[in-house]
Amino acid sequence: MASDDLESYILLVLSDANLPTGSFVASAGLESHVAHALFYSEGPRDAMKATLAFVRDSVGTYARSALPFARDAQRVVMDFIAQQETEPSKAIDVLMRLDALYESTALNHVVRRASRSQGVALLTLYAKGFTCPPFLAAPMDGEEDTMGMESRERDERVGALIDALKLRVRREDTYGHLPVCWGVLAGALGLSLDRGSHLHLFLHARGVLSAAIRMNALGPYAAQQLLLHGVRPIVDEEAARAAHLTSGIDLSPSGNALEDDERLPASTWPLGEILAARHDLLHSRIFNS
Amino acid sequence: MTFATRYGSNGDKVSGRGQIIVQAHGSEVAFPELSYSYPLKLLSPRIVQDGVGVVYMLTYGGGLVGGDSISLSVDVQSSARLVLLSQGSTKVFKSRPGRRAAVTTSSTDAAPTKQQLDVHIADAGGLFLLPDPVTCFRAASYHQVQRFHLVRGASAALLDWYTSGRRAIGEEWVFARYHSTNEVFVDGSRVARDAMLLDGAPLNVRPLPARSLADRMGPYACYATLILYGPLVEEVVRALDVRFQAISVFQVRAPLDVLWSLSPVRGQAGRIVRVAGKTTENVKGWLKDALRGLESVVGVDVYSKAFV
Repeated sequence: MASDDLESYILLVLSDANLPTGSFVASAGLESHVAHALFYSEGPRDAMKATLAFVRDSVGTYARSALPFARDAQRVVMDFIAQQETEPSKAIDVLMRLDALYESTALNHVVRRASRSQGVALLTLYAKGFTCPPFLAAPMDGEEDTMGMESRERDERVGALIDALKLRVRREDTYGHLPVCWGVLAGALGLSLDRGSHLHLFLHARGVLSAAIRMNALGPYAAQQLLLHGVRPIVDEEAARAAHLTSGIDLSPSGNALEDDERLPASTWPLGEILAARHDLLHSRIFNS
Repeated sequence: MTFATRYGSNGDKVSGRGQIIVQAHGSEVAFPELSYSYPLKLLSPRIVQDGVGVVYMLTYGGGLVGGDSISLSVDVQSSARLVLLSQGSTKVFKSRPGRRAAVTTSSTDAAPTKQQLDVHIADAGGLFLLPDPVTCFRAASYHQVQRFHLVRGASAALLDWYTSGRRAIGEEWVFARYHSTNEVFVDGSRVARDAMLLDGAPLNVRPLPARSLADRMGPYACYATLILYGPLVEEVVRALDVRFQAISVFQVRAPLDVLWSLSPVRGQAGRIVRVAGKTTENVKGWLKDALRGLESVVGVDVYSKAFV
């Protein structure tokens, strides 16, 4: 795990709105909601309340349905790093099983499409944007310290793991879904499990707010007000509630199905599912999802 | 046929089991096994449709209460077609009406009503699970896990739907919990895991105003999920694909009465359809129309017994 200072610094880097993750083309179903006249509930039209309600339902269902995959994927990478494994194939196998399970759980073609493109973007981001450039990685004046050597060796192994996963995605052996790839990235950067999930939900919520601004549903100042005061308690609460969940890849099929189901992913917003899946039917649209 | 009544330790909990095996012999359909125990009841009416069997899943008193648990296993053997129906919606009560009122009203958390369904479908066989919706009454809690194991060449039309409650007396999304999971495996590999969890308790996120389940579900009062897979539903799938592709949404002025979506499952092998309607009748009418292609698979008479 990264030291607190390093972790805070990584959080600054990861929360940069200019990070090329492809999230700017995703609205998480918001555009479809507005087009179907479901953004405002009955009564006076209040853009802030309507946006916050959407964020709440969207973060709630994403936390319960996708976050377990991000957490389990991050655990795989953390174990891979901790156990000093050099051969990534075992970790890749587990990640691919997680990816396949997510594919069969995300029963919505629009969501799956957005998830794959954003997931792959994260792997690329790590490979191209987060690895250390060689001239900064080389030991100074030929002096070699053990700390530097250890961290270089760790970075090389993690880089090999991510390259191997990227290759499998490119060959279409696996999907490269967003929650799985997020977990991989968070693990590779040494974030703690809770930090990783919290940040993932925060970015999901912020993505919705950015989409609301682009759609002209909400002004930029109002969005900041929501981000600072409204989104925080939602993200805190939903990240905490999802902490005991599991994707289910390690569950035995002979276990008690009803008991196991209490800890497994589930969608909590059926209306959101339908509207997200109707995105491609919108006559005019500015987002891909 | 076995018939047993089992009471749990608190005298109110019961667990019912059922088993159905259906076989096709030429144009005849036979049930080498059709057994059940309280509070589950299975009835197979005599029907005249080649290769098709019909079983009604019923509960005594027309409902289930907190603590009840039912598990049903179904084996559809090669080339057999089974239509599973219910008679009226499955009502889920927090407690059995008129009984132990003093005890049950004192506890705030209802014991969940549990239902488990395990289905195996062999080659050229088909299961058409077309029950009425589940209606959870105020404070009721319902949890079901349904697993469908198909071989390649088997078919299924699996409907899972629920309503907002007893609207006639003003209940709208005021049950404690509805949790439903459907898993479909083909040749042992999972092609779909559909899990829906609706928690009635408003999530308290301070300082935000409470957001109830009704806020999240409205303006719709009935939701359905339909999973379609295999050669026997090809015609239905083809028609739905065409209908869905033809939709073009301009800015809508007011929420539509019925909203539906369709997504492929595992490549193009299956479909998942989701429907929301302002009333149960809206959704029922939509489903009856969308699945009408099944008339050529199970027969016009049998199909007319679904969605009545």
